[in-house]
Parts: sequence; structure tokens; C-alpha cells
Amino acid sequence: MNLLLFAEIGRDIEWVTLGIALAIMVGIGLLMALCIILISRFCQVKEDPRIKEVEQRLAGANCGACGHPGCSGFAKALVEGTATLDSCGQTNKEAQIEISNILGIAYDGNAEPTIAVVACSGGSQCEDKYAYQGYGTCVSQNMLAGGRKACEVGCMGSGSCVDACPYMAIECFDGYAHIDPELCRSCGLCIQTCPKRLIKRVPKSATVYVACSTECRGKDVMSKCKAGCIACGKCERTCPSGAIHLVNNVPIIDYSKCTHCGKCLEACPRHCIKHVHPVDTSEKTITKVEPEKESKAE
Amino acid sequence: MDVLGIIFSALFANNFILAQFKGICPFLGVSQKPGSALGMGLAVTAVMVITCAVTYPIYTFVLVPLGIKYLYIIVFILVIASLVQMLEMILKKFTPGLYSSLGIYLPLVTTNCAILGVAQLVTAEVAATSAHFAKTLVVFGKAVKISMAMSFGEAVLSGLFYGLGFTLAIILLAGLRQKVDRLNVAKPMRGFPMTMITACFMAMAFYIFSLIG
Repeated sequence: MNLLLFAEIGRDIEWVTLGIALAIMVGIGLLMALCIILISRFCQVKEDPRIKEVEQRLAGANCGACGHPGCSGFAKALVEGTATLDSCGQTNKEAQIEISNILGIAYDGNAEPTIAVVACSGGSQCEDKYAYQGYGTCVSQNMLAGGRKACEVGCMGSGSCVDACPYMAIECFDGYAHIDPELCRSCGLCIQTCPKRLIKRVPKSATVYVACSTECRGKDVMSKCKAGCIACGKCERTCPSGAIHLVNNVPIIDYSKCTHCGKCLEACPRHCIKHVHPVDTSEKTITKVEPEKESKAE
Repeated sequence: MDVLGIIFSALFANNFILAQFKGICPFLGVSQKPGSALGMGLAVTAVMVITCAVTYPIYTFVLVPLGIKYLYIIVFILVIASLVQMLEMILKKFTPGLYSSLGIYLPLVTTNCAILGVAQLVTAEVAATSAHFAKTLVVFGKAVKISMAMSFGEAVLSGLFYGLGFTLAIILLAGLRQKVDRLNVAKPMRGFPMTMITACFMAMAFYIFSLIG
């Protein structure tokens, strides 16, 4: 490369043109700066300073589990009063109390942690409408006539939620998805992924959940699925504390009233009320079943 | 004013992405979901219209008479960037809904090459005609003579439709990508390589448009 190039250019510089160019650039720059200053003065958006303070104290995982677009959206909703702190399961207690102090709301920091459950236990016991061949996820399968299951709210067991779960808490076997309550952190990504909206949150302390979400009548369910709820209402009648009610042929458990007695578990003829924590069940069933067997043998 | 010609050329034959290969970065970057692709496309369209409406007078009435045409890139960048900044602030103030759906894409496209490209395209033709000489553009081996001066209206119109052409291409790619991502392809080809191949086929399909007329 010829370094003399610059020297040659330098000889030919027209100082007037350079001056004009400089003046134009500086002029346009200053004009634009002035416009921006004026517009920013007139168009200042007054943001509540509390939003930023609240956002700094939130967990910042941006998981979207609360139903708001990220933590900033949640912070905004909190300040506006359209959301409650309970909907965030990730923020720790100290931060939650700090946030409640900022917002001036009464909050004792005792939000119930939740976990996710799959409200279907049909799987291979539920009949297929057609044989599905195609991309292997529930989301794609759901595009073809709502999936291969005869039940409209049946888990297809193709594992879209398994892929979505960042904590490897979901597994598919027996034809439907199972969530490990030990690993679940209730982030809500599977809830958003499931095309059938089958995954729901229950309090972590809950003993039982309803593993079916069909709103069909008993007869229709019988013809399609061997594990589905037939809306017989036995659980509603059995429950001593009146925590279970049938709404649209689906039992809804009011966890604030539930006394963890487990009577609905035994009452349900279709076994679609299930234990949230499976470890407990195996111990209980073993202790309960064994004496019966012995008595029968005798 | 050859409105139909401008519309057809801007949308299909001279599509910014698929025929001129400008603005590939947002094209590949923001085409994962059709929703965000639409937002990006509309943001690009808005910025392109503003660009054409502002750079055309600056070029013809300031830069050309003063004989400092060579400064056009720097001046355009300066003007476009600050105008987009102002637009963002105005949107934030008066239409927060539109801002939340469109505003986040505005800073991304401020001085994208597609934006500078449209400014250059609109003004280059002015320069050609003001010097009373017919410029020939070579589009895929065919020499196209541009002898008509672009008026201000035509400049803005072509800016609008170049932007809509961008929107069309990015939404098409977003739709195809959703389909292609579900395909079972060999592992090294998964993801970005398949997107590039998809975009390549789209460009080949759009090549047909340049043969019309």
C-alpha cells in the first residue's frame, strides 16, 4: 500500500467544500439534537418509580408463570394492583415482604408454593380416533383434528411438555405425562406448552388432585376412556368437609377446605382422583392393601 | 406516475430481501414467530416511509445543490437514527399499545442496510435523471432503463411498498420456519442451516417475478 496516498489527497483538499460539509453535518446534528431534546421534554412518560424497585426484587427468571410477559410485566401489574404476589412462585420470602412494603399492601409472606399436575390419566386406557403418523410432538398432533385421542381433553403422551420442562420433571409413560413433584418448580412452561391445557397448578401441600378434565357426561366418557371421570358425584358426597364440587361434570377441589383425609381417593370408582405426591401413596397403599390380602387369604 | 409498476417492482420483482439481499439480518433473526415477524415488518415499513419522506428532500434540495453528495451515507444515518428515536418517544407517549407491539423493533432497524438501501435507491434515481441521463440497472441479466425522475410522491410510495415487500417476505419465512422446525432433518442441518436453505428457495421462487414484464 502506498502511504503517500494521504499526502496526495491533502494537496487537493478544497477548503471551501470541506467547510460546507462540516457546517452541514454540524448543522444537521444540532438540529436533530434540538428536536430530540424538545420531543423528549414534551413526550416524557411518567413511569411509576415503584415498578423498577419491585422488578429488582423479583426473581428475574422471566418464566412467565404468573401469566404476565416477564418479570417487568408482573411488576407493572403488581403496582397497578391487577396481580397478587401469590402468582409468583420463584421470588423468595424476604423479597416478597420487601415488595409488599414498597406497595403498601398487607402481606405476611406465607404464599403457598404450588406444583403442576397433569389433569388426565387416560393415556393408553383412552381410545384413539385414528392412527397418527407425523411429527412426534403433541403440538403438531393437535393440529390434525385435535389429536388422535377420542377424548377431546385427553393427554396424547407425545411429550411436548417433556421438551418444555427445564427441570426434567416430566416423563411420559403409560401413554400420558407424569410430573415429578420433587423436581417441579411450578415455572409454568409446560402449562403454556400443552395444546390441551391439561396441566394445572395445585398447592404443594395438597394431597389429592383430579386427574381428568373432561366435561362430557358419564355415558360418553365410558365409551371412550377407561380412566376418565364419569361425574358420578361420589367424591362430592363422600367429602366430609365439603371441599369437592362438581362443576360442568368435573370435580373441583377447594384446597382451602381440604383436610387431607383421603376419603375421595377411596371413593372414586374410576381412580381418577390421585395423590399429588406418589411416594406417600405407595407407602399407604402397601400398608392398607396388605392386611386385606392377608385377611382374604385366611 | 407508474404506480402499478412501482408497487409490483417493490413487492415482488425487486423485493428487498429476496431479490436485492438487503436486510438479511432482521429477516433471519426475527422470523421465529409470525407475530413478531409481522411486528418487525411493520416497523421496517414505517421506518422506510419516514426515510424516503425525509432523505429525498434533504438529498435533492441540500446535498445536490451544495455539491456534497458524497456525504449522503453519513447524513442519512444521522437523520434516520434521530427521527426513529423521536418516533419511538412519540409512540411511547401517545399510543402505548402500539409501542409495546411495534416499538421494541424500531431501534433494531434504525440504520439497517435495508433502510439505507431504500434511501439510496430513491435518491440514486433522482441523481440519474437530474443529470439528464438514463441510468441502466441490470436486474438478473436484463438491462432495465430508468429514465423517469422519481417525484416525492413516488419516492414515498416506493418506500412504503418496499417495506410491505419486506413484511411479506419475513412473514412467509416465519410461516415456513414453523413448519421446517418440526421436520425430522439430519442434526447438522437442523435450525439455522435449514432456515438459510428455506430462504434460498424463497429467493428462487421470487426470481420468477423479475422475468415478468
